[in-house]
Amino acid sequence: MRLRSFLQLLSKEFRELFSSRAFWIMLIIVGALVGHGFITAIETYAEVSGNGNGPAALPQGLTPLDGILVPTWGAYDLAATLLFPFVAIRLVATEKESGALKLLLQLPHSLVGKVSTKALVLISGWVLAWLPGLAAFALWKTYGGHLYTPETANLLLGHFLRGLLSAGVGVGAAALAESASSAAIVTLGLTVGTWALDFIAAGRGGLLQQLANYTPTAALRSFEQGLLRLNTVVVMLALSLGGFVVAAIWLHTGRSFRIRLLATAALVVMVAGVCVAGARLRSSWDLSENRRNSFYVADEAALRKISVPLKLTVFLAPEDPRLTDLEQTVIKKLRRVLTPLQVDYIANGRTGLFESSEDHYGEIWYEMGGRKVMDRSTIEEVVLDQIYQLAGEPTPDRSEANDFPGYPLAVQPRMAALIFYLIWPLTVVLSWWLLRR
Amino acid sequence: MNPYPVVSELLTVKGLTKKFGARHVLSDVSFNVRFGEVLGLIGPNGAGKTTLFECLAGLLSCDAGNVKFRETNLTASQRKESLFYLPDAIVPWAEQSVKWALHFFQRIYGQSQARLLKLLVPLRLEEIERSRLGTLSKGERKRLILALGLLTPQPLLLLDEPFDGLDLRQTRDVMSLVREEAASGRTLMLSIHQLVDAGRVCDRLVLLSDGRTVGEGTLTELRAQANLTEGGLEEIFLALT
Repeated sequence: MRLRSFLQLLSKEFRELFSSRAFWIMLIIVGALVGHGFITAIETYAEVSGNGNGPAALPQGLTPLDGILVPTWGAYDLAATLLFPFVAIRLVATEKESGALKLLLQLPHSLVGKVSTKALVLISGWVLAWLPGLAAFALWKTYGGHLYTPETANLLLGHFLRGLLSAGVGVGAAALAESASSAAIVTLGLTVGTWALDFIAAGRGGLLQQLANYTPTAALRSFEQGLLRLNTVVVMLALSLGGFVVAAIWLHTGRSFRIRLLATAALVVMVAGVCVAGARLRSSWDLSENRRNSFYVADEAALRKISVPLKLTVFLAPEDPRLTDLEQTVIKKLRRVLTPLQVDYIANGRTGLFESSEDHYGEIWYEMGGRKVMDRSTIEEVVLDQIYQLAGEPTPDRSEANDFPGYPLAVQPRMAALIFYLIWPLTVVLSWWLLRR
Repeated sequence: MNPYPVVSELLTVKGLTKKFGARHVLSDVSFNVRFGEVLGLIGPNGAGKTTLFECLAGLLSCDAGNVKFRETNLTASQRKESLFYLPDAIVPWAEQSVKWALHFFQRIYGQSQARLLKLLVPLRLEEIERSRLGTLSKGERKRLILALGLLTPQPLLLLDEPFDGLDLRQTRDVMSLVREEAASGRTLMLSIHQLVDAGRVCDRLVLLSDGRTVGEGTLTELRAQANLTEGGLEEIFLALT
């Protein structure tokens, strides 16, 4: 009986989702964005693969993850940022504004059950919106393209968590705000805030950069690079769940404002605690086929033997490309194998009004077990050699071959325009019309 | 076997107080609802009728007071097990059809198809079954909301302005449906601002003015409270406020 009643509620939420114009419009727009991303990606990939008798790039540099999957699924990052939150907001705000919430709150289910059905329906709606993206995968395979299952599944997981976060934020904002428009402003404010954090924290280190690692854009980026980090998954899940719990707290209109405020404060402390604890989790898996997030196997084995803490002091400004190079090619990988690792960023901006002229600019200081050494190189092998030297470890043999073959493919995006620009929108409109009858 | 003690009071409200900021919307409101009666909550616009109903239903928090159901204290979250409140002027699920809304409530509460069919004719819902809720007139919406309420199983039903927006014939039909429901053992509490309607359908009345209960009882009892020998509800209300 309880299950039947829950299923009734679930079916009601699905009906509400399917009667939402925002949802159908999102589906149409997502299809067009995916189509554009896919067609452009296929053409670019074909060019660098030597299409039209042009020079081919090094095959090792051609990975479908970077060349096809990420640009195609980039549409979903845009949708999760600018479209999906409004679908989530509508699912709650309409019931608040129309008075339906007063009936809903009196139905036999618990408020947690009611919010859970909304969450389930939103997740299903998000996965349904993946159809064009999955169609792009299928098309790529029919062209003879290569897909590496672990990195593809990891990318999907990233987009799943990104959608879940948008749904949590949207539902939470709708429950907190008086109207749908206020909830939209709250959601957009949060999004712009995370963009600003991303921008400001780049290459600055410290708490700000640690926080910036978990903005939706940064979190998704690690999945796009084939890296599955446990801390990212835990933080994204905690924040998403937090949004849904905020909704359960604030939709309970029978509780006084003070109690709801106290419950929210307790929740914020709890979610912050989970995020701080989660951020300390160091487990990560490099699921990329070309092991882009890992050092050579021999280096990794040697680095894992080092137990003395390493401190790096980097005198490079955030806008300096050498810092980006160091971050992307060395520090990111070091964090996965070397614990504990402390990185201090010293230099400020070197351009414009705030130009600084530190004597040490460009230096990278390595400190381990009381010994210090300085170098200016950001090349992976040089940095590792400095670490081995400080740790008194021999440099391992790096003669192993990189066996990633690369997957060049010069094809035309056959049928793609027809599917994404005609068949998909027509299917969406037809389904909308059929469901409205 | 009836698990509840045999008492004539189904619901006892004592000292209910609700403030919005510094403004007292309900001040020390107390009254009883007796088993199987139709109790009218009478008061002008702004008297606090809707706020009182929402506090009783647990949709709004109270600042003071308690609500007992069959002599047992009810917390706000337990209220939905004992009573169901039908708000006035709501347009729920505007994109869904009348038929869907009726079936949704019927299935959620495990009511029989016969029970649903029994409501369709007197409330004239058959003719609008396929319409979307957002396209209904005020009266049609009111009839549908009433049907949804009658599909709920709670022993006490709170109806906010059930005759508002209904024409003469519809009002008469709804009144007889309300009386039938009470005759079947269900208790109803109606908030009404039209005194004529209240006098015709209610067994007893609670008069609310500026968030305070100024009288409670049958017409005769209220007349006595107002020290009047004759006169209708209008005179009684004016004398007591």
